[in-house]
Amino acid sequence: MPKIAKLWNKLADPKNIPRLFALILGLLLIAGFLIPVGLNTDQIYTRPAPQSQMDAGLAIAPYDRGGEILESPGITEAQYPENSQNLGWINSYMTPIADMLKGISPYFGTSICASPGGVIDEILYYTRGFDTILESSILMMAFIIASWLAINFTMDRKEEKGKGDIEEDVKRAIASSDRIASEVEMSNRKAREKQAKKEFR
Amino acid sequence: MLIENLGGNVMGTIPLGDIVLYLNPLHIFLFVTILVFTALIAISRTETQVESMFGSLDENKVSVGKKEFKQRRFLSVICGIATAGAMITGDLFNFTLFMALIGIVNIGIVSAVKQVDVLNSAYQYGLIAMMCGLPLFGGAAMILAATGTLSLFELASIPASPMMIFGALVMLIGVCGESGIAPFFASKAEMFRTPGSPFILIIHLSSLFIIVRFVEILLTIL
Repeated sequence: MPKIAKLWNKLADPKNIPRLFALILGLLLIAGFLIPVGLNTDQIYTRPAPQSQMDAGLAIAPYDRGGEILESPGITEAQYPENSQNLGWINSYMTPIADMLKGISPYFGTSICASPGGVIDEILYYTRGFDTILESSILMMAFIIASWLAINFTMDRKEEKGKGDIEEDVKRAIASSDRIASEVEMSNRKAREKQAKKEFR
Repeated sequence: MLIENLGGNVMGTIPLGDIVLYLNPLHIFLFVTILVFTALIAISRTETQVESMFGSLDENKVSVGKKEFKQRRFLSVICGIATAGAMITGDLFNFTLFMALIGIVNIGIVSAVKQVDVLNSAYQYGLIAMMCGLPLFGGAAMILAATGTLSLFELASIPASPMMIFGALVMLIGVCGESGIAPFFASKAEMFRTPGSPFILIIHLSSLFIIVRFVEILLTIL
């Protein structure tokens, strides 16, 4: 019984929680090695087999997704094609510079300036665009919090001195605990004196 | 299991490309409740804690400054909107993103308090929230790899495979840590011990709603 009580007490300390969480997560992930890997090859967001475009000698391998610039759409799959009617157009688009580089040499395929609009952009900004909005809003919130803290707790610190400052609070707490300690000591001494008088009598 | 069985009949969808938000009575109820609560928060003022001093008749008032008040109100409104979004989302990855947004905003709400204990536990919660990125997104990725789709509509009709169940378990650990339910409650519970009641409450409320919604998602996809 007392062991369980001790365990509960340890759980109530915020310091131990991340360790416990990490431990449980680690154990679960290790147990994951026992799970048979059943990959579904019929994915929506497919990619061509590795090296297949290189071997075919395409100029913008490995990012060639078919289609012609502003004429026909490239290959992109979507879960709900009826919701994205312009599917594939971003994918087949290339800037004039990228198009020129593509004509000059077959070795610029992996550079950012020569790659087409691309399967990544199509998914990020078109079929799954809402996710990208959310992702950047997470980042924005993090920056808002960090910058607010930086402005109010590092730059303006001098103005607010002595008014609700953490250091002041700590000092006050230490002083009051000192006072209580000395009071306790005094009353102890008095009690002891009384006791001594009683015994003397 | 079909979606219709759990939350009632599907009343409509909001298509955003591949991410389709779907509405059924359960989701609409949760969505409206959290929005009403967020509106109440947006127009309310914070409480002031009054602590009686030891050994004297004085009292110590712990109140929230105006700047901090504005910051907290903004973040709690964002937290409410994110929770409302998580209630009606029909996409697994979208749900995890809403969850991550709620986590970071929760830390933000208490980040400006001046009590050392609260800041310490917020730091510990932040560590958990960072770690939760792995199970949340990893679990969603595992389910994507096992089934080839992220849409809850499609997932509802695919029979569960061992890898899907494992992915869902990993996600469950992530949600447990991020929303601070037992046995990971201590750091999040200690974060509440500060003035500014209605704003602090949304931390609690958002995790409650998220748990309800995640259980529904689990029952739907498995």
